[in-house]
Amino acid sequence: MSFGSNLRMFANKASLCCNVNKVTLELFSRCSTVAFLQYDKDPGPSFSNPDVQKLLKSMTRVQLEKVYKKRSVSDNTVEYKFMTSEQLEKQFRKAAERAEKLIQMPPIVKVKEDSQKVISRDPALTNFSNTKFVIADITYGVNSSDRKILVRQTDGTLEYAPLSIRKRINQIYFPHPGRKIRLPRMFEPEHLNRCLANFQYEFILDRACVQFDPYEKEYHEITTKVYNHINESKRFDDLRSTRHFGPMAFYFAWHQIIDDLLYDMIKQDYLKNGAELVALYYQLNGIDYDKSIHEKLETLVQPQSTIQSVLKPKASDDMHEEIKNAIGKSAEDFTADDISFEFIETFVKTKALKKVQLELALQALRETNDEKKKLYHGLKKAHGIS
Amino acid sequence: MSIPLALASGTGRFYKHSAKIIRFARHGCTNRPFFHIVVMERRKAQHQPVIEQLGTYDPFPNEHEEHLVAFNFERIRYWLGNGAHLSTPVAELLGIAGLLPIHPRTYMTAWRNRRAAEEAAAKASESGADANKAPESKEGGSGTS
Repeated sequence: MSFGSNLRMFANKASLCCNVNKVTLELFSRCSTVAFLQYDKDPGPSFSNPDVQKLLKSMTRVQLEKVYKKRSVSDNTVEYKFMTSEQLEKQFRKAAERAEKLIQMPPIVKVKEDSQKVISRDPALTNFSNTKFVIADITYGVNSSDRKILVRQTDGTLEYAPLSIRKRINQIYFPHPGRKIRLPRMFEPEHLNRCLANFQYEFILDRACVQFDPYEKEYHEITTKVYNHINESKRFDDLRSTRHFGPMAFYFAWHQIIDDLLYDMIKQDYLKNGAELVALYYQLNGIDYDKSIHEKLETLVQPQSTIQSVLKPKASDDMHEEIKNAIGKSAEDFTADDISFEFIETFVKTKALKKVQLELALQALRETNDEKKKLYHGLKKAHGIS
Repeated sequence: MSIPLALASGTGRFYKHSAKIIRFARHGCTNRPFFHIVVMERRKAQHQPVIEQLGTYDPFPNEHEEHLVAFNFERIRYWLGNGAHLSTPVAELLGIAGLLPIHPRTYMTAWRNRRAAEEAAAKASESGADANKAPESKEGGSGTS
Protein backbone atom coordinates (compact mmCIF):
# COMPACT_ATOMS: atom_id res chain seq x y z
CA MET A 1 0.00 0.00 0.00
CA SER A 2 2.86 2.36 0.71
CA PHE A 3 3.86 2.38 -2.92
CA GLY A 4 0.63 4.09 -3.86
CA SER A 5 1.64 7.30 -2.15
CA ASN A 6 4.45 8.07 -4.52
CA LEU A 7 2.46 7.41 -7.66
CA ARG A 8 0.41 10.05 -9.31
CA MET A 9 -1.72 9.28 -12.29
CA PHE A 10 -3.64 11.26 -14.80
CA ALA A 11 -7.07 12.02 -13.49
CA ASN A 12 -8.84 10.19 -16.27
CA LYS A 13 -6.81 7.06 -15.59
CA ALA A 14 -7.76 7.18 -11.94
CA SER A 15 -11.43 7.66 -12.73
CA LEU A 16 -11.30 4.79 -15.21
CA CYS A 17 -10.32 2.22 -12.65
CA CYS A 18 -11.79 3.63 -9.49
CA ASN A 19 -14.00 0.60 -8.99
CA VAL A 20 -11.11 -1.85 -9.07
CA ASN A 21 -9.69 -2.66 -5.67
CA LYS A 22 -6.66 -0.73 -4.56
CA VAL A 23 -3.97 -3.38 -4.97
CA THR A 24 -4.81 -4.15 -8.57
CA LEU A 25 -4.98 -0.46 -9.26
CA GLU A 26 -1.45 -0.05 -7.96
CA LEU A 27 -0.14 -2.91 -10.00
CA PHE A 28 -1.96 -1.68 -13.04
CA SER A 29 -0.62 1.84 -12.78
CA ARG A 30 2.88 0.60 -12.17
CA CYS A 31 2.95 -1.47 -15.33
CA SER A 32 0.84 0.69 -17.58
CA THR A 33 2.41 2.92 -20.21
CA VAL A 34 -0.34 5.47 -20.01
CA ALA A 35 0.39 6.50 -16.45
CA PHE A 36 2.92 9.32 -16.36
CA LEU A 37 5.06 8.73 -13.33
CA GLN A 38 6.46 11.80 -11.67
CA TYR A 39 9.21 12.23 -9.15
CA ASP A 40 7.63 13.08 -5.84
CA LYS A 41 10.87 14.56 -4.51
CA ASP A 42 14.01 15.93 -6.15
CA PRO A 43 15.84 12.96 -7.74
CA GLY A 44 18.92 15.11 -8.51
CA PRO A 45 20.95 14.41 -5.36
CA SER A 46 20.26 10.66 -5.55
CA PHE A 47 21.17 10.58 -9.23
CA SER A 48 24.48 12.40 -8.79
CA ASN A 49 25.38 10.33 -5.73
CA PRO A 50 28.74 8.66 -6.61
CA ASP A 51 27.54 5.22 -5.49
CA VAL A 52 24.48 5.43 -7.71
CA GLN A 53 26.55 6.74 -10.62
CA LYS A 54 28.92 3.82 -10.25
CA LEU A 55 26.04 1.33 -10.36
CA LEU A 56 24.46 3.01 -13.37
CA LYS A 57 27.74 3.14 -15.27
CA SER A 58 28.42 -0.50 -14.58
CA MET A 59 24.95 -1.45 -15.78
CA THR A 60 25.44 0.45 -19.04
CA ARG A 61 28.03 -2.11 -20.26
CA VAL A 62 30.03 0.09 -22.59
CA GLN A 63 30.99 -1.45 -25.91
CA LEU A 64 33.14 0.67 -28.21
CA GLU A 65 31.54 -0.76 -31.35
CA LYS A 66 28.18 0.53 -30.21
CA VAL A 67 29.44 3.89 -28.96
CA TYR A 68 31.20 4.54 -32.25
CA LYS A 69 28.57 3.04 -34.51
CA LYS A 70 27.59 4.78 -37.74
CA ARG A 71 25.20 7.61 -37.10
CA SER A 72 22.97 9.62 -39.33
CA VAL A 73 25.21 12.69 -39.33
CA SER A 74 26.57 14.62 -42.26
CA ASP A 75 30.15 13.44 -41.79
CA ASN A 76 30.55 9.70 -41.37
CA THR A 77 33.89 9.39 -43.12
CA VAL A 78 36.44 6.82 -42.03
CA GLU A 79 40.15 7.48 -42.18
CA TYR A 80 42.52 4.55 -42.74
CA LYS A 81 46.09 4.71 -41.51
CA PHE A 82 49.12 2.46 -41.13
CA MET A 83 50.24 2.25 -37.52
CA THR A 84 52.64 0.35 -35.33
CA SER A 85 51.06 -1.70 -32.56
CA GLU A 86 52.11 0.92 -29.94
CA GLN A 87 50.44 3.66 -31.93
CA LEU A 88 47.37 1.46 -32.31
CA GLU A 89 47.20 0.87 -28.59
CA LYS A 90 47.51 4.61 -27.98
CA GLN A 91 44.67 5.26 -30.40
CA PHE A 92 42.51 2.68 -28.67
CA ARG A 93 43.20 4.32 -25.34
CA LYS A 94 42.21 7.69 -26.74
CA ALA A 95 39.05 6.23 -28.23
CA ALA A 96 38.13 4.66 -24.90
CA GLU A 97 38.62 7.97 -23.13
CA ARG A 98 36.46 9.71 -25.69
CA ALA A 99 33.82 7.01 -25.30
CA GLU A 100 33.67 7.77 -21.56
CA LYS A 101 32.78 11.34 -22.45
CA LEU A 102 30.31 10.32 -25.15
CA ILE A 103 28.28 8.14 -22.81
CA GLN A 104 27.98 10.70 -20.02
CA MET A 105 24.47 10.30 -18.72
CA PRO A 106 21.99 13.14 -19.04
CA PRO A 107 21.04 14.00 -15.46
CA ILE A 108 17.64 13.45 -13.91
CA VAL A 109 16.59 16.48 -11.90
CA LYS A 110 13.26 17.68 -10.69
CA VAL A 111 10.96 19.79 -12.85
CA LYS A 112 11.61 23.50 -12.44
CA GLU A 113 8.49 25.47 -11.64
CA ASP A 114 7.83 28.98 -12.85
CA SER A 115 8.00 31.63 -10.14
CA GLN A 116 6.75 35.11 -10.80
CA LYS A 117 9.25 37.67 -9.55
CA VAL A 118 8.05 41.22 -9.95
CA ILE A 119 10.65 44.00 -9.97
CA SER A 120 8.34 47.00 -10.06
CA ARG A 121 4.71 47.91 -10.60
CA ASP A 122 3.83 51.25 -12.18
CA PRO A 123 0.08 51.80 -12.76
CA ALA A 124 0.83 55.15 -14.41
CA LEU A 125 2.34 53.17 -17.30
CA THR A 126 -0.89 51.29 -18.06
CA ASN A 127 -1.48 51.10 -21.84
CA PHE A 128 1.89 52.61 -22.73
CA SER A 129 2.00 50.05 -25.54
CA ASN A 130 -0.31 47.51 -27.11
CA THR A 131 2.16 44.69 -26.66
CA LYS A 132 4.57 43.72 -23.94
CA PHE A 133 8.30 44.30 -24.19
CA VAL A 134 10.79 41.49 -23.68
CA ILE A 135 14.20 42.80 -22.75
CA ALA A 136 17.28 40.58 -22.91
CA ASP A 137 20.66 41.41 -21.45
CA ILE A 138 23.12 40.31 -24.14
CA THR A 139 26.27 41.12 -22.19
CA TYR A 140 29.11 38.88 -23.37
CA GLY A 141 30.32 35.96 -21.32
CA VAL A 142 27.12 35.37 -19.35
CA ASN A 143 25.74 31.88 -19.01
CA SER A 144 22.36 31.20 -20.60
CA SER A 145 20.94 30.21 -17.22
CA ASP A 146 22.25 33.37 -15.55
CA ARG A 147 21.21 35.79 -18.29
CA LYS A 148 18.74 38.48 -17.20
CA ILE A 149 15.60 38.43 -19.31
CA LEU A 150 12.80 40.77 -18.28
CA VAL A 151 9.26 41.46 -19.38
CA ARG A 152 7.53 44.84 -19.20
CA GLN A 153 3.83 44.09 -19.29
CA THR A 154 1.37 46.52 -20.86
CA ASP A 155 0.10 47.43 -17.38
CA GLY A 156 3.56 48.69 -16.48
CA THR A 157 4.72 45.72 -14.41
CA LEU A 158 8.39 44.87 -14.82
CA GLU A 159 9.12 41.23 -13.97
CA TYR A 160 11.48 38.36 -14.70
CA ALA A 161 10.47 36.40 -17.78
CA PRO A 162 8.84 32.98 -17.33
CA LEU A 163 10.82 29.90 -18.39
CA SER A 164 9.07 29.48 -21.73
CA ILE A 165 9.99 33.02 -22.83
CA ARG A 166 13.50 32.68 -21.41
CA LYS A 167 14.11 29.57 -23.46
CA ARG A 168 12.87 31.17 -26.67
CA ILE A 169 14.82 34.40 -26.20
CA ASN A 170 18.01 32.55 -25.30
CA GLN A 171 17.62 30.47 -28.44
CA ILE A 172 17.09 33.60 -30.56
CA TYR A 173 20.10 35.55 -29.35
CA PHE A 174 22.43 32.68 -28.40
CA PRO A 175 21.35 29.65 -30.42
CA HIS A 176 22.13 26.21 -29.05
CA PRO A 177 23.31 24.07 -32.01
CA GLY A 178 20.63 21.58 -33.05
CA ARG A 179 17.90 23.10 -30.92
CA LYS A 180 14.85 24.58 -32.64
CA ILE A 181 12.91 27.66 -31.56
CA ARG A 182 9.61 25.89 -32.25
CA LEU A 183 9.00 22.41 -30.88
CA PRO A 184 10.03 19.83 -33.52
CA ARG A 185 6.97 18.04 -34.82
CA MET A 186 8.33 14.64 -33.88
CA PHE A 187 7.61 15.48 -30.24
CA GLU A 188 3.91 16.01 -30.90
CA PRO A 189 2.01 12.98 -29.57
CA GLU A 190 0.93 11.49 -32.91
CA HIS A 191 4.41 11.64 -34.44
CA LEU A 192 6.05 10.57 -31.21
CA ASN A 193 3.83 7.52 -31.08
CA ARG A 194 4.88 6.64 -34.61
CA CYS A 195 8.54 6.94 -33.65
CA LEU A 196 7.90 4.71 -30.64
CA ALA A 197 6.08 2.17 -32.78
CA ASN A 198 9.23 2.00 -34.94
CA PHE A 199 11.36 1.51 -31.80
CA GLN A 200 13.51 4.61 -32.52
CA TYR A 201 14.27 5.01 -28.84
CA GLU A 202 17.80 6.32 -29.03
CA PHE A 203 16.88 8.81 -31.72
CA ILE A 204 14.03 10.24 -29.64
CA LEU A 205 16.09 10.43 -26.47
CA ASP A 206 19.10 11.99 -28.21
CA ARG A 207 16.94 14.63 -29.79
CA ALA A 208 15.10 15.29 -26.53
CA CYS A 209 18.50 15.89 -24.88
CA VAL A 210 19.27 18.57 -27.46
CA GLN A 211 15.85 20.18 -27.58
CA PHE A 212 15.10 20.33 -23.86
CA ASP A 213 16.90 21.06 -20.66
CA PRO A 214 16.70 18.29 -18.07
CA TYR A 215 14.59 20.39 -15.71
CA GLU A 216 11.80 20.92 -18.26
CA LYS A 217 8.45 19.21 -17.86
CA GLU A 218 8.34 18.18 -21.52
CA TYR A 219 11.68 16.43 -21.14
CA HIS A 220 10.37 14.38 -18.25
CA GLU A 221 7.15 13.56 -20.09
CA ILE A 222 8.89 12.42 -23.26
CA THR A 223 11.63 10.42 -21.57
CA THR A 224 9.22 8.66 -19.23
CA LYS A 225 7.01 7.83 -22.18
CA VAL A 226 9.98 6.28 -23.98
CA TYR A 227 11.12 4.36 -20.88
CA ASN A 228 7.64 2.99 -20.32
CA HIS A 229 7.43 1.93 -23.94
CA ILE A 230 10.76 0.14 -23.65
CA ASN A 231 9.57 -1.55 -20.49
CA GLU A 232 6.57 -2.81 -22.38
CA SER A 233 8.34 -3.87 -25.57
CA LYS A 234 11.26 -5.30 -23.52
CA ARG A 235 13.86 -4.02 -25.98
CA PHE A 236 16.37 -3.03 -23.33
CA ASP A 237 19.24 -3.99 -25.61
CA ASP A 238 18.48 -0.95 -27.79
CA LEU A 239 19.65 1.36 -25.03
CA ARG A 240 22.42 -0.82 -23.59
CA SER A 241 25.82 0.83 -24.07
CA THR A 242 24.24 4.23 -24.74
CA ARG A 243 24.10 7.18 -22.38
CA HIS A 244 20.38 6.66 -21.82
CA PHE A 245 20.57 3.26 -20.15
CA GLY A 246 21.57 4.68 -16.75
CA PRO A 247 18.71 7.19 -16.53
CA MET A 248 16.29 4.48 -17.66
CA ALA A 249 17.45 2.07 -14.95
CA PHE A 250 17.27 4.92 -12.44
CA TYR A 251 13.70 5.68 -13.50
CA PHE A 252 12.65 2.04 -13.13
CA ALA A 253 14.33 1.65 -9.77
CA TRP A 254 12.86 4.88 -8.43
CA HIS A 255 9.32 3.91 -9.45
CA GLN A 256 9.78 0.26 -8.38
CA ILE A 257 9.13 -1.29 -11.79
CA ILE A 258 12.45 -3.07 -12.28
CA ASP A 259 10.99 -6.55 -12.81
CA ASP A 260 11.13 -6.63 -16.60
CA LEU A 261 14.63 -5.17 -16.73
CA LEU A 262 15.79 -7.64 -14.08
CA TYR A 263 14.25 -10.50 -16.03
CA ASP A 264 16.09 -9.35 -19.15
CA MET A 265 19.38 -9.17 -17.24
CA ILE A 266 18.94 -12.66 -15.83
CA LYS A 267 18.03 -14.01 -19.23
CA GLN A 268 21.11 -12.47 -20.84
CA ASP A 269 23.30 -13.81 -18.01
CA TYR A 270 24.25 -10.32 -16.74
CA LEU A 271 23.85 -11.45 -13.15
CA LYS A 272 26.21 -8.87 -11.71
CA ASN A 273 24.17 -6.12 -13.33
CA GLY A 274 21.03 -7.70 -11.96
CA ALA A 275 22.45 -7.56 -8.45
CA GLU A 276 23.45 -3.94 -9.05
CA LEU A 277 19.94 -3.11 -10.21
CA VAL A 278 18.49 -4.63 -7.07
CA ALA A 279 21.02 -2.71 -4.96
CA LEU A 280 20.00 0.47 -6.77
CA TYR A 281 16.37 -0.30 -6.03
CA TYR A 282 17.15 -0.73 -2.35
CA GLN A 283 19.25 2.41 -2.23
CA LEU A 284 16.69 4.67 -3.94
CA ASN A 285 13.79 3.41 -1.87
CA GLY A 286 15.63 3.61 1.43
CA ILE A 287 15.68 -0.13 2.10
CA ASP A 288 18.58 -1.53 4.11
CA TYR A 289 20.74 -4.20 2.52
CA ASP A 290 24.13 -5.79 2.95
CA LYS A 291 26.46 -3.31 1.23
CA SER A 292 29.44 -5.67 1.37
CA ILE A 293 28.07 -7.35 -1.75
CA HIS A 294 29.60 -4.60 -3.92
CA GLU A 295 33.09 -5.25 -2.56
CA LYS A 296 32.66 -8.98 -2.92
CA LEU A 297 31.54 -8.69 -6.52
CA GLU A 298 34.24 -6.19 -7.35
CA THR A 299 37.06 -8.35 -6.02
CA LEU A 300 35.75 -11.33 -7.95
CA VAL A 301 34.79 -9.70 -11.23
CA GLN A 302 37.21 -7.09 -12.51
CA PRO A 303 35.26 -4.22 -13.95
CA GLN A 304 35.58 -4.88 -17.63
CA SER A 305 37.18 -1.66 -18.81
CA THR A 306 36.55 -0.61 -22.35
CA ILE A 307 40.22 -0.74 -23.26
CA GLN A 308 40.70 -4.28 -22.09
CA SER A 309 37.83 -5.52 -24.17
CA VAL A 310 39.50 -4.14 -27.28
CA LEU A 311 43.07 -5.08 -26.49
CA LYS A 312 42.34 -8.67 -25.61
CA PRO A 313 45.35 -10.88 -26.35
CA LYS A 314 44.50 -13.25 -29.18
CA ALA A 315 46.21 -16.40 -27.96
CA SER A 316 47.73 -17.29 -24.62
CA ASP A 317 49.65 -20.24 -23.29
CA ASP A 318 47.88 -20.23 -19.96
CA MET A 319 45.56 -23.23 -19.65
CA HIS A 320 43.23 -21.37 -17.26
CA GLU A 321 42.67 -18.71 -19.89
CA GLU A 322 42.02 -21.29 -22.55
CA ILE A 323 39.39 -23.07 -20.48
CA LYS A 324 37.83 -19.76 -19.59
CA ASN A 325 37.64 -18.78 -23.25
CA ALA A 326 36.07 -22.12 -24.11
CA ILE A 327 33.34 -21.89 -21.48
CA GLY A 328 33.07 -18.13 -21.14
CA LYS A 329 33.42 -18.11 -17.38
CA SER A 330 36.19 -18.50 -14.85
CA ALA A 331 36.11 -19.89 -11.32
CA GLU A 332 35.73 -16.36 -9.92
CA ASP A 333 32.78 -15.75 -12.20
CA PHE A 334 31.03 -18.80 -10.82
CA THR A 335 31.42 -17.68 -7.21
CA ALA A 336 30.33 -14.14 -8.15
CA ASP A 337 27.29 -15.62 -9.83
CA ASP A 338 26.43 -17.53 -6.68
CA ILE A 339 26.58 -14.36 -4.60
CA SER A 340 24.42 -12.48 -7.14
CA PHE A 341 21.98 -15.39 -7.25
CA GLU A 342 21.42 -15.22 -3.53
CA PHE A 343 21.06 -11.44 -3.52
CA ILE A 344 18.55 -11.44 -6.37
CA GLU A 345 16.61 -14.34 -4.91
CA THR A 346 15.94 -12.54 -1.65
CA PHE A 347 14.68 -9.60 -3.67
CA VAL A 348 12.43 -11.81 -5.79
CA LYS A 349 10.99 -13.47 -2.70
CA THR A 350 10.23 -10.24 -0.83
CA LYS A 351 9.75 -7.32 -3.18
CA ALA A 352 9.26 -8.49 -6.76
CA LEU A 353 5.98 -7.96 -8.60
CA LYS A 354 6.46 -10.74 -11.18
CA LYS A 355 7.68 -13.40 -8.77
CA VAL A 356 6.89 -16.53 -10.76
CA GLN A 357 8.47 -15.31 -13.96
CA LEU A 358 11.65 -14.17 -12.23
CA GLU A 359 11.94 -17.37 -10.19
CA LEU A 360 11.65 -19.48 -13.32
CA ALA A 361 14.30 -17.42 -15.10
CA LEU A 362 16.61 -17.74 -12.12
CA GLN A 363 16.03 -21.47 -11.99
CA ALA A 364 16.80 -21.88 -15.70
CA LEU A 365 19.97 -19.85 -15.44
CA ARG A 366 21.07 -21.77 -12.38
CA GLU A 367 20.73 -25.05 -14.25
CA THR A 368 22.78 -23.91 -17.25
CA ASN A 369 25.31 -22.44 -14.88
CA ASP A 370 25.60 -25.75 -13.01
CA GLU A 371 26.18 -27.54 -16.29
CA LYS A 372 28.88 -25.07 -17.23
CA LYS A 373 30.46 -25.51 -13.84
CA LYS A 374 30.56 -29.25 -14.27
CA LEU A 375 32.11 -28.84 -17.68
CA TYR A 376 34.64 -26.43 -16.24
CA HIS A 377 35.75 -28.81 -13.53
CA GLY A 378 35.82 -31.69 -16.00
CA LEU A 379 38.05 -29.74 -18.39
CA LYS A 380 40.33 -28.75 -15.54
CA LYS A 381 40.67 -32.33 -14.46
CA ALA A 382 41.36 -33.47 -18.01
CA HIS A 383 44.16 -30.92 -18.32
CA GLY A 384 45.54 -31.90 -14.98
CA ILE A 385 45.11 -28.56 -13.24
CA SER A 386 43.51 -28.28 -9.85
CA MET B 1 20.97 51.49 -49.76
CA SER B 2 23.07 48.72 -48.45
CA ILE B 3 24.92 49.04 -45.19
CA PRO B 4 27.84 46.72 -44.70
CA LEU B 5 27.36 44.91 -41.39
CA ALA B 6 30.41 45.31 -39.21
CA LEU B 7 31.26 43.42 -36.04
CA ALA B 8 29.35 44.40 -32.93
CA SER B 9 32.66 45.58 -31.51
CA GLY B 10 32.51 48.32 -34.15
CA THR B 11 34.77 49.76 -36.79
CA GLY B 12 34.13 53.49 -36.35
CA ARG B 13 37.02 55.83 -35.58
CA PHE B 14 36.41 58.50 -33.00
CA TYR B 15 38.11 61.24 -31.04
CA LYS B 16 38.61 60.70 -27.35
CA HIS B 17 36.80 63.84 -26.25
CA SER B 18 34.16 64.13 -28.97
CA ALA B 19 30.47 63.93 -28.02
CA LYS B 20 29.15 60.34 -28.25
CA ILE B 21 25.53 59.31 -28.44
CA ILE B 22 23.68 56.04 -27.95
CA ARG B 23 21.00 55.91 -30.64
CA PHE B 24 19.18 53.79 -33.18
CA ALA B 25 20.63 52.93 -36.58
CA ARG B 26 17.91 51.82 -38.97
CA HIS B 27 18.57 48.47 -40.60
CA GLY B 28 16.03 46.05 -42.06
CA CYS B 29 14.53 46.95 -45.41
CA THR B 30 11.76 48.94 -47.03
CA ASN B 31 8.63 48.94 -44.90
CA ARG B 32 10.29 46.66 -42.38
CA PRO B 33 12.45 48.61 -39.97
CA PHE B 34 14.85 46.95 -37.58
CA PHE B 35 17.05 49.01 -35.34
CA HIS B 36 20.53 48.48 -34.04
CA ILE B 37 21.26 50.33 -30.83
CA VAL B 38 24.70 51.80 -31.37
CA VAL B 39 27.12 54.23 -29.86
CA MET B 40 28.73 56.70 -32.27
CA GLU B 41 30.01 60.23 -32.52
CA ARG B 42 27.10 62.60 -32.23
CA ARG B 43 27.98 64.61 -35.30
CA LYS B 44 28.00 61.56 -37.58
CA ALA B 45 25.09 60.30 -39.71
CA GLN B 46 23.38 57.10 -38.66
CA HIS B 47 24.90 54.91 -41.36
CA GLN B 48 28.49 55.89 -40.73
CA PRO B 49 30.67 53.22 -39.13
CA VAL B 50 29.70 52.90 -35.48
CA ILE B 51 31.97 52.80 -32.45
CA GLU B 52 30.13 49.82 -31.03
CA GLN B 53 26.80 48.06 -31.31
CA LEU B 54 25.05 47.86 -27.95
CA GLY B 55 21.84 46.05 -28.79
CA THR B 56 18.88 45.64 -31.09
CA TYR B 57 15.24 46.68 -31.14
CA ASP B 58 12.51 45.15 -33.25
CA PRO B 59 9.65 47.67 -33.53
CA PHE B 60 7.25 45.06 -34.94
CA PRO B 61 5.73 42.65 -32.43
CA ASN B 62 6.45 38.98 -33.09
CA GLU B 63 3.95 36.11 -33.31
CA HIS B 64 3.74 35.93 -29.52
CA GLU B 65 2.80 39.62 -29.31
CA GLU B 66 6.09 40.79 -27.88
CA HIS B 67 8.53 43.55 -28.75
CA LEU B 68 12.03 42.09 -28.63
CA VAL B 69 14.70 44.35 -27.19
CA ALA B 70 18.29 43.38 -26.48
CA PHE B 71 20.79 45.47 -24.60
CA ASN B 72 24.40 44.91 -23.76
CA PHE B 73 23.96 46.50 -20.35
CA GLU B 74 27.59 46.19 -19.38
CA ARG B 75 28.75 48.32 -22.34
CA ILE B 76 25.81 50.71 -22.02
CA ARG B 77 26.82 51.43 -18.45
CA TYR B 78 30.40 51.94 -19.63
CA TRP B 79 29.42 54.47 -22.29
CA LEU B 80 26.99 56.29 -20.02
CA GLY B 81 29.78 56.52 -17.48
CA ASN B 82 31.98 58.01 -20.19
CA GLY B 83 29.40 60.75 -20.69
CA ALA B 84 27.63 59.46 -23.80
CA HIS B 85 24.32 61.15 -24.62
CA LEU B 86 21.07 59.30 -25.21
CA SER B 87 18.57 59.76 -28.00
CA THR B 88 14.96 59.95 -26.77
CA PRO B 89 13.77 56.57 -28.16
CA VAL B 90 16.76 54.82 -26.59
CA ALA B 91 16.20 56.63 -23.30
CA GLU B 92 12.58 55.51 -23.42
CA LEU B 93 13.61 51.92 -24.04
CA LEU B 94 16.14 52.02 -21.22
CA GLY B 95 13.40 53.36 -18.94
CA ILE B 96 11.11 50.50 -19.98
CA ALA B 97 13.96 48.05 -19.38
CA GLY B 98 14.39 49.40 -15.85
CA LEU B 99 17.97 50.65 -16.16
CA LEU B 100 16.95 54.34 -16.05
CA PRO B 101 13.88 56.03 -14.56
CA ILE B 102 10.84 55.89 -16.86
CA HIS B 103 11.14 58.58 -19.52
CA PRO B 104 8.44 61.32 -19.27
CA ARG B 105 7.45 60.68 -22.85
CA THR B 106 6.50 57.08 -21.98
CA TYR B 107 4.12 58.42 -19.33
CA MET B 108 2.72 60.83 -21.91
CA THR B 109 2.13 58.03 -24.40
CA ALA B 110 0.51 55.98 -21.66
CA TRP B 111 -2.06 58.56 -20.59
CA ARG B 112 -2.75 59.59 -24.17
CA ASN B 113 -3.45 55.97 -25.04
CA ARG B 114 -5.68 55.59 -21.99
CA ARG B 115 -7.58 58.77 -22.85
CA ALA B 116 -8.03 57.65 -26.46
CA ALA B 117 -9.29 54.26 -25.27
CA GLU B 118 -11.73 55.89 -22.86
CA GLU B 119 -13.03 58.21 -25.53
CA ALA B 120 -13.41 55.36 -28.00
CA ALA B 121 -15.28 53.33 -25.37
CA ALA B 122 -17.58 56.25 -24.56
CA LYS B 123 -18.25 56.80 -28.24
CA ALA B 124 -18.98 53.12 -28.77
CA SER B 125 -21.39 52.95 -25.84
CA GLU B 126 -23.09 56.18 -27.03
CA SER B 127 -23.55 54.93 -30.57
CA GLY B 128 -24.63 51.57 -29.25
CA ALA B 129 -27.22 53.25 -27.06
CA ASP B 130 -28.42 55.29 -30.00
CA ALA B 131 -28.71 52.27 -32.24
CA ASN B 132 -30.49 50.03 -29.73
CA LYS B 133 -32.46 52.76 -27.97
CA ALA B 134 -31.82 50.63 -24.93
CA PRO B 135 -28.85 51.61 -22.72
CA GLU B 136 -27.08 48.30 -22.41
CA SER B 137 -23.48 49.36 -21.91
CA LYS B 138 -21.64 46.09 -21.94
CA GLU B 139 -18.22 47.44 -22.95
CA GLY B 140 -18.40 50.58 -20.90
CA GLY B 141 -15.82 49.36 -18.39
CA SER B 142 -12.86 48.90 -20.71
CA GLY B 143 -10.08 51.44 -20.77
CA THR B 144 -10.94 53.06 -17.47
CA SER B 145 -8.40 53.52 -14.76
